[in-house]
Formats: sequence, C-alpha cells, structure tokens
Amino acid sequence: MQSEKYKHITDAELLQNFYNDHDNKWLGILLPRYTLLLLGVCMKYLKNEEDARDCVQQIFLKVINELQKYKVDYFKSWIYMIAKNHCLMKLRDQKKLPVELNEAVIPAEDPLEKGEVLEKDKLIQKLKQAMDQLNPEQQKCVNLFYLGKKSYAEVAEITGYTMLQVKSHLQNGKRNLKLIMEK
Amino acid sequence: MNEDLLNILSNSNKDIDNQKLMDYLSDKLSAEEKHEFEKALVDSELENDAVEGLTEFKNKKDPLLFAEQLNRNLQKQLQKKKASKDKRKIGDLSFLYITIIILILLILIAFFVEWHYLH
Repeated sequence: MQSEKYKHITDAELLQNFYNDHDNKWLGILLPRYTLLLLGVCMKYLKNEEDARDCVQQIFLKVINELQKYKVDYFKSWIYMIAKNHCLMKLRDQKKLPVELNEAVIPAEDPLEKGEVLEKDKLIQKLKQAMDQLNPEQQKCVNLFYLGKKSYAEVAEITGYTMLQVKSHLQNGKRNLKLIMEK
Repeated sequence: MNEDLLNILSNSNKDIDNQKLMDYLSDKLSAEEKHEFEKALVDSELENDAVEGLTEFKNKKDPLLFAEQLNRNLQKQLQKKKASKDKRKIGDLSFLYITIIILILLILIAFFVEWHYLH
C-alpha cells in the first residue's frame, strides 16, 4: 500500500518535497494520514456523521489551496487549527455557536529540555512542591494516571469522575504543573 | 517513582497511527499500550478531540470506511488538479510554439518579397 511505502518519511519531509516540486503526489501521501483524525474532530464538534464527512472534504480542499500560498512549519498543529476553525465557523453559520476562533497552535516547549541545567534532584523536589499546588481533583487524577499508571477508565472508576472530567483534570493539571515549574 | 514524576513533564511526540487509534476505540490494546496511548492523548489536542468524536459514531467500523472513501475522493481531487495544471502548462507551451511559427513565416514572407523585388 502507498501509505506503508512512505511510512518512513515524516510530515515535514513530505511537505518540503511538496514545496520543492509542487507535485500533488506528496499531499496525496500526507493528507490521508490525517483523514481519520479529522473525521473524529469534525464529529466531535458537529455531532453529525454526514456533516463530519462533508467537513473533512472541505478541509482538504482548503488545505490544498492554502499550502500553495504559504509555507507551513508545524503541519499537525496547523491542520488541527484549520479543522477546528472550520467546524466552529460551520456551527456559527448554523447559529449554534458564538464566534470564538483559535489562533495558531504552536507546540508547547518541553520543560525538560529547557530545564536540563537544573539538577535532576532539584527538579524532582520542585515538581513535588508543584504537585501540592494543584487543586485536589487534578492532583488525584495526575497521581493515579502518571504515577499509578491507571487508564482513563480506571481513574474515572476510582475517583467517581466522568471520563471527560478525568481528561480535563489531566490536561489542566499537566499544564498547571508546567506553569508552576516555569516560574 | 521519581522517573515517573519527571515523565509528567515530558511531551509525548509519538504520532498515533490509525490502526492503534481504532484498536484503542475497540478496546483491543493491552493495559500498558492503553496507558501509553492515553499519555499521548493528554499531549495532543488533535488526537484527544479525534478520539472523542470517533466514539460518537453509531457503528464502530464506519469511521474507517468513511476515511477510506474520503481518501479515494482526495486522490481523485488531487489528480484532477494535477491534470488541469498540466493542461495549463501545455496550453502555455502551444501558445509559445504558435508565436514562433508565425514569426518564422513572417520572416520567410519578408525574405521572398524582398528577393522578388530585387530580381
């Protein structure tokens, strides 16, 4: 299969090849990597299978046109932003949502790389203190998930939270930890 | 334990492949694989949103079928764009060839007219 044959080529390399020769062949390899993910994203926002499929097709068209016009560095974040904004616009047109569009998402810096100068022990100590500053829900979820290696479902079962709440506490907890560590 | 603590801060840069995603949704992953997968989810809004959306499909196999269909349409779309680009290129070239031929003909006519008057 074509996708298997090009599996070793990264998104960035495929994109660079496209910018070099403007051959759509490269987009034909790159975009299918995201079809299922985009379908899921569209379904999350639109809550309708037919609309989600149409939306993915429209997103592809938009992506193909936009990529001819300017250079994209972080393809995954960029295509997510395009998809999310497209869904939100569609919801707004259907009068189901006020406009709230996201700015470009740039991958977060890894504090571990940044904090290499900090000694490991100091880092661990600081992290433990940071953990204490999280709210109890986030603390509970972060502990069970990262230290107890439990799955979302198990964390939900133990804490009594819903899966969505668990995901949200984990994401916010991790974000807060990073913010506290960067202070 | 301390290593696990440090792991909280690291970002998972692993790309999730479609098969793993479907296996996760069908609950076919081992506990360890599931945990690794969910760790990657916390770090990726795209994949996180996608999982949420994919669980909302009535039939679990539909997303894969829809994705295949969308990919086929995408390939057709890309080929169509490529064909029209090629056609445009050929169109541009034929304009160039016609101009050259007309110029050569004009030069030849001018040469013969001048030759006719001289003799």
